[in-house]
Amino acid sequence: MAGQNNVSTYALAIQAQLTTTVSPVPVYGSFNRNFASQQKFVTWNLRNVHQEVYTGTTQSVKGIDRPIFQTNIYAGSLQDAFGIANTIIQALHGYSGQFGGLFYVSKIDVDFLYNSYDNDIGLHSIYLDCTLDIPT
Amino acid sequence: MALPNKVLPGFSASLYCQPTSTPTPLTTTQLALVASVSPIAVIGNLLPVEAIPAFGQDDAVANFSVAGTRQSDKIPTQSAPTSLSITAAWNPSDTNLLLMRGDAYSGVVDRTFVISATEGSNIVYYAFNGRVSQFQIDAQPGAEAKCMFTIHPRGNQYGWSNNA
Repeated sequence: MAGQNNVSTYALAIQAQLTTTVSPVPVYGSFNRNFASQQKFVTWNLRNVHQEVYTGTTQSVKGIDRPIFQTNIYAGSLQDAFGIANTIIQALHGYSGQFGGLFYVSKIDVDFLYNSYDNDIGLHSIYLDCTLDIPT
Repeated sequence: MALPNKVLPGFSASLYCQPTSTPTPLTTTQLALVASVSPIAVIGNLLPVEAIPAFGQDDAVANFSVAGTRQSDKIPTQSAPTSLSITAAWNPSDTNLLLMRGDAYSGVVDRTFVISATEGSNIVYYAFNGRVSQFQIDAQPGAEAKCMFTIHPRGNQYGWSNNA
């Protein structure tokens, strides 16, 4: 039997964990309206929250959740962007333990997707996918 | 309530097991009586399996050949109930999975199992007595840990019923 995890708790934990990891760099959910005045910041987006549902009409026959939060790193210099990315990878890739102080994760898997540059806002960016294995 | 009269999704099937480590399995008559079967099909006895495997009867024939003739005859025999290879997400504290582990350790515990398929309040039951074997944990790191076991039904000990 496996209950459905609370997705709101996921969001709170991601914000808390990333804030702790990259401090003093500010962390925002999805978007930073102050991007013009901040040369370094991190945003995150949660996706793929899904506990597999198995057979029968009993709702609690489910598997574990393996949600992904995408972390976007923005910085005025490429070196700063890679530095923040390295901080996150060193801290979270393969991490097992309390996540954001709210629940236990068996594993975090960090996948470095790519880096990019936006000429309009003058910021380098790096995109990481972080997969959580959450016991249920 | 009536026998379901729809094509059912495979999802609608659930597997239940008789409780306690020393169960008294139902008699062959009871296995086909809804009054005996339905009390087993309650949420406390639910096995949290991923999917219900094929259940029913195996194929079984006797055949013989006679020298000088080209074709043998195939004579259907009373075929055995099908063994069920079960996969469940593994919770080490799940009461019913622990019963399966104990049954496999023993090898001689006869227990009644019930598969129910539901459409609203209309339910059809397949009940059988069986023993558990091949209890394994598969802990591949990319998904939840799986608990796998096989239920081997006893010959002639199964029945169909419904809540009509």
